[in-house]
Order: sequence, then structure tokens, then C-alpha cells
Amino acid sequence: MMNAAATHQEPPPPANRATAVETFRYDNRIVRAFAIATVVWGIIGMSAGLLLAVQLFFPAASLDFQFITFGRLRPVHTNAVVFAFVGNGMFTGIYYSLQRLCKARMFSDKLSWLNFWGWNAIIVAAAITLPLGFTTSKEYAELEWPIKIAIGVVWVAFTINLLGTIVKRREKHLYVAIWFYIATALTVAILHIVNGLEVPVSLWKGYSIYAGVQDALVQWWYGHNAVAFFLTTPYLGLMYYFLPKAANRPIFSYRLSIIHFWGLIFIYIWAGPHHLLYTALPDWAQSLGMVFSVMLVAPSWGGMLNGLLTLRGAWDKVRQDPVLKFMVAAVTAYGMATLEGPALAIKTVNSLSHYTDWTIAHVHTAVLGWNGLLTFSVLYWLFPRLYNTKLWSAKLANYHFWIALLAMMFYVVPMYISGITAGMMWKQFTKDGFLQYPNFLETVQQIVPFYRLRAIGGSLYILGVWLMAYNLWRTARAGQFVPEEEVQAVSYRSQPEAHQEAAFTHRWLESKPILLTGLALVAVLIGGMIEIIPMIVIKENVPTISSVKPYTALELLGRDIYIREGCVGCHSQMIRPFRSETERYGEYSKAGEFVYDHPFLWGSKRTGPDLHRIGGKYPDAWHYNHLDDPRSTSPGSIMPRYPWLLTQKLDTTPLPARISALRRVGVPYPPGYESKALNELKQQADKVAANLTTGQIKAPPDGEIIAVIAYLQRLGTDIKSAPTTTADAATGPRASN
Amino acid sequence: MSQLIDELGGIEAIGIFSLCLFVVVFTAAMVLAFCLKKPFLKSMGELPLEDEQAKAKTPTPPPL
Repeated sequence: MMNAAATHQEPPPPANRATAVETFRYDNRIVRAFAIATVVWGIIGMSAGLLLAVQLFFPAASLDFQFITFGRLRPVHTNAVVFAFVGNGMFTGIYYSLQRLCKARMFSDKLSWLNFWGWNAIIVAAAITLPLGFTTSKEYAELEWPIKIAIGVVWVAFTINLLGTIVKRREKHLYVAIWFYIATALTVAILHIVNGLEVPVSLWKGYSIYAGVQDALVQWWYGHNAVAFFLTTPYLGLMYYFLPKAANRPIFSYRLSIIHFWGLIFIYIWAGPHHLLYTALPDWAQSLGMVFSVMLVAPSWGGMLNGLLTLRGAWDKVRQDPVLKFMVAAVTAYGMATLEGPALAIKTVNSLSHYTDWTIAHVHTAVLGWNGLLTFSVLYWLFPRLYNTKLWSAKLANYHFWIALLAMMFYVVPMYISGITAGMMWKQFTKDGFLQYPNFLETVQQIVPFYRLRAIGGSLYILGVWLMAYNLWRTARAGQFVPEEEVQAVSYRSQPEAHQEAAFTHRWLESKPILLTGLALVAVLIGGMIEIIPMIVIKENVPTISSVKPYTALELLGRDIYIREGCVGCHSQMIRPFRSETERYGEYSKAGEFVYDHPFLWGSKRTGPDLHRIGGKYPDAWHYNHLDDPRSTSPGSIMPRYPWLLTQKLDTTPLPARISALRRVGVPYPPGYESKALNELKQQADKVAANLTTGQIKAPPDGEIIAVIAYLQRLGTDIKSAPTTTADAATGPRASN
Repeated sequence: MSQLIDELGGIEAIGIFSLCLFVVVFTAAMVLAFCLKKPFLKSMGELPLEDEQAKAKTPTPPPL
């Protein structure tokens, strides 16, 4: 396919140059390839999500099979939906609309296919490596460094192709959709590079160069802007192109689109810290994140209204046309999500919502509603055109629409109830001042019924996608694919200038793609730089705690297993300074406690309790039994079993390389520690194994579970130690067992 | 106003600078947008609809 497409070169311009009309062809093959990949990955990614949803009320659904436990499968679901489903959907729309808005074929067919095969190979690599436990644990950036480099290469190919097409365009001015595509290409590249910086240890393991608070800020600057510049800006570009097409009328206000674009890309980049409210992140950064998040509602709603008002006078069409139905619902969902997002970024609201299913509801309003429904609308609109026929069944598409809406209700409403219920139960005190629900499991049991309802919603949504897949397949069969669409347009140079061109106006800017790209780059860089640079260079942002020491060799390997198993998907390690949290978990978390955490493991969801002060709370034997079968120690727990930790031997061979790598990123392991680390590890492992015998457990000291127990018992204990001088911190790690 | 911003929690100068920066960017975008003339806005708004007219030889698919 790649070779066939690559051989299609644009025909030479017509002999009659006086007419200045050029004949050329749009490449529909690449559009079709991305469209098919969108549907396939949508079904796979959503099905993975459904399996996860089932595991939350039926833990045995993991089959005690380590490769499909919740922790390992969750990033498969998020990556498959965000980068595979939405990513391919984004490319589908961009490759179709960009050619037509520029009146030019894509810059390079080879780059187009490199983009397609490279992107989808990366997704396959993700689907293999994540279940195997190769993960950085940083949300939406879990893929390890070799895959990250591949992402960078493919993204550069896409960006060159995008900008190259813009440069060779036959249209004088760049339409608003293209500005959003440019902002997407630039910003995703920056986010990916800055957040992805890590020191490689082996082929599938690396450590983030940032630690603790800095790592958290960079990660959520990335994480939030992945939402902004991967899930939002490209889809706004699609909205600005496909909504007018489907409605057959121009966008409501081109003026508003200018304000929408600059306001949105400038503000979005500042909002990341709202994911870290009430954490150990310095207050100034939290406040900036909150204020800019609230301001974000203005440009977001400007865009939403611009989309909806495009349909003024055409609402009768919405009743008949499933494409418009999907679009209206998608834009409405965008409006709801972008109103809710700023609300959740207000500190008082966030104190209740954070770590609960409320966030899950919010995310799924956006992805199922905005991204999902808009993708479906684009596919329903595109397939008849790609196959030069009409949609096989508009009726079936209408059924899909109503099923998708019903599915979303079944998904998000239970999650709102679940989130608010859990959040309030966590904070509830008795009249005597004690926690009303001191056992975390009480709050879990209360929300399990909502997890069942959520799974029904997810099932319905997937059913709708299957109906769409069938409908599109029948449409394709009924028509004939148009691989190359021949069109004519006036060449760029011979176009009469219809309007006077004055410098330094937006119209002038729209004819200068390089300048527009440069200004967009400045707009997105400012916020990130103002937030991140002071956090890294000003030491006062992370007050040092002298008793905090690096992890011991055994704890370090235990931490890496904790990362491998994806425990961070359900357990936070960040106790916020609320009485409800300090009563339940212990002293609130301090920035200085995480200075050796590469990467940070604060988490963003508490399906289980926070673990930052778990060290010393239970005996080693309790952890052993709990990991073997959580329900043996905690009846009603929904945590999966981890029996393989009891049988798998701890691999100590990478230990020296990991210690060296961590030293390179600033962890003060003493010189030569690598040579004695293994002995220390064995001594500490023997102690843990000895402790286990007091609980009638005979476990070999070389099992993985020993390392995990050592790590868990270390968590949050450093500040309980007697203060030592700062210089002591460089004398090496301290064992907790 | 200053006291209000102070109460946001340690935000101080960096917050005021950031908000001023936003005002500048937003104002610039507004000025640029409102300086555009209607014929240009109309022609740009209709750009996505033009490619149907540009098709020379490929028939337009029938409506759904």
C-alpha cells in the first residue's frame, strides 16, 4: 500500500499556463487507512476499558494473570483510546481537511505512510510492553524510552508533512482549522520531549530526570496539555472544518475563531497544576494553575458557541442527519466538559473531587462525548465520500447516536454519584470528632454498585461502535473507493489578490505560516516556562528534610516492581493537609520527602487508600497475605491478587545499573555503592523473611514479594526518624527493616 | 485587588505578571480580530465549502 501510494506523484501543471489552473489529486488512501485504524483501535481500546470496569466489581476477572491486572491494563486502555483511537481519528480528519483547505496534495506520500505505519506500530508496541510491565508510570506517558524516541520520529514526520503541505498550498490564507493543527504539532512535540527526559538504564527501563515535586509539575504540565493539545485543539480544527461542511454553511463567526484560538492556546498551557491542588506543590504554582483554569472557560465556550451557532437556521437538518446529531452532541459535551473542568480546578471543589470517580466522569464526558461522538460524525461523513456512495443505513447511524447517548448517561451519572459519595464519606466525621468511615473499604463497598452500572454504559458504547463499524463496512462494500480525487485550483502565484494586504493584521498573519507558527510557539511556551523554570531553579520551592534518605537496594527494586504492576493507578502517595486525610493516613506529605523519587508516584486516583504513610502500619506478614489475596486480610476488597510476586525470583542483575542511573539524576548514593548493594540487599531481605516467620509464613528471601514489602514498609517513614544533618543524607540509604 | 491576589496563596508578583501577560495577549487578539474587514471574514468563513466547487471530475456523493 505504501509503495503504491508513494508512486503517485502530482501530474505536471497543465500546458495552458495562461489559465493558471492546476490539476492535482487529493490522496484518499491515507485518509482511509487512518479511518479504518480509528475504528479498529476504538473497539480494542474501549474493550480494554470494559474489562477494567468489570474487574472493579469482579476482581477475579483478572484471572490472576499478571498481564491483565488492573494496574497493567489501565495504561493500555488510556493509551489505546487517547493515542490510538483519538490519535488515528485526528490524523484521519487532518489528512482529509488539510489537503482541501490548502488545495494541495500532502507534501510527501512517503511521510504520510511513515506517519501511519509508524504511529500504529508504536501503538502495537504499547499494547505489548505495557502488559509486560514496561512502564514509566507517568500517566499518558507510560511508554518507555525506545518507544518515546519512535514517537518523536513519527511526530516529526507528521509535522514536516503538515508544514510542507501548508508551504506548497494553493490557498493564500490559512483557515482557522489549520492554526489548530499547527498548534497541535508544535505543542505535542514540546510536551513529549520535556516530560519524556529520562536516563536509560536498560532497553525497557529508564528513570525520569526529574524527582518528586518537579517531576509532578512537569508530568501534569504534560498530562493536562496532552488533553489540551491532543484531545482538544486538533478536534477543534476538525470541528471548524467538518461542522460547516456537514451543515453546508460557514462557521458562525470567523472573528470569534481568532479570539478562540489565541485565547485557548495561551491559557491552556498554564492550567496543569490544577491536577496537584493541595499537594506538596508550592502554593504559587497551584494558584496560577487554578486561576488560569477558571479563565479557560471563556475561550472554550467561545469555541463551543461558535460551533453550535453555525447551525443557526439549520436545526431542522439536525433532526434528519445523524452526522449533525453526533456533531451537536459532541460540541455540547465539549461545552459541558470545559465548564466542569474549570469548576474542578477551584481548590474547594477539587478538595472533594480529586482522587475520586468524579474525575473519571469528567474525563469520560470529554472523551466519550467530545472526541468519541465527533470522531463518529467525521467517519459517517467521510466514508460515503471516500466510496462515492451514500451511507448504507442512516437509520442504523441514528440508532448508534441514541445508544451512544444512553451509554454516556449510564457511564457518567454513576461515576458522578460514586465520586461525590466517596469524597464525602472520606471527609465525614462523627459528632465526637472521629472519622465516620475509618475503614477505607466501607467507602469502596458503597460505590461498587455504581461500578456495575458503569460497565453497562461502557458495553452500550462499544455496541454502538460495532454498529458503526458494520454500517461503514456495508457503505464501503456498496460503493467504489476513490483513491485519488482529481481537482483543479488556481496556482498560488497567479491568484488575483482579492483584498488589500496590510502588514501586521491577522489577515496578513494568516498568509505567513512561518510567522504564525512562531507566534503560536511563543504563546504555548510562555506559560510552561513561567511555571516550570522557577520550580526547578529555585531551591526554596522544595525545602530539604535532612532525615530523608535514598531507598536501599532492596527497596529500590521493590519500588520498580510497584511501578511495573501499576499500583499508582489505584493508590496515591500524597496525603493532603486536610484533617480527614491526616486522621486516616497520618501526617500530610511534604515536598522534601520526594526528592529521591524518580519518578514521583503521587497518583491521581484512590480506588484503594493512600499509601504514603503505609510504612510500619502493618506487619510484614500482613502485606504478604494481602498481596497474595487481598480479601484474606481485607474482606470485600476489590484489589486483584498478586500470587506471582510470591513465586517469581527477584532479578538483582540490573541493580548496579539502576543505582548508577539514579546517581546520575541526583540521588546521592555513595561512590562504589553498586559493589556492596547486593550484600546489603540480601541482609535486608533476610530480615524481611525472618519477620514473615513470626506470621507463620515461610518465604524465601529472594522472592519479589520481599522487595515489595521492604518498599512498602519504607514509605513515609523517613520523617519519623530523628533529624540528622543535611550532610548525612549523602552517606547512603537507610534500611527500614 | 492586591490583597485578593495575595490571598490566592503565595502567588504575588509572578501571578500579577502572568495575568497582565494574558490581558496583553487577549487584547491583541481582540484588536486583530476586530480590525478584519467583512469581505475577508466572509471569504475565509466559506473556505471549507469551497473544495466541493473545486472538484473537477469526481462526482459529489448524494446526500445521506
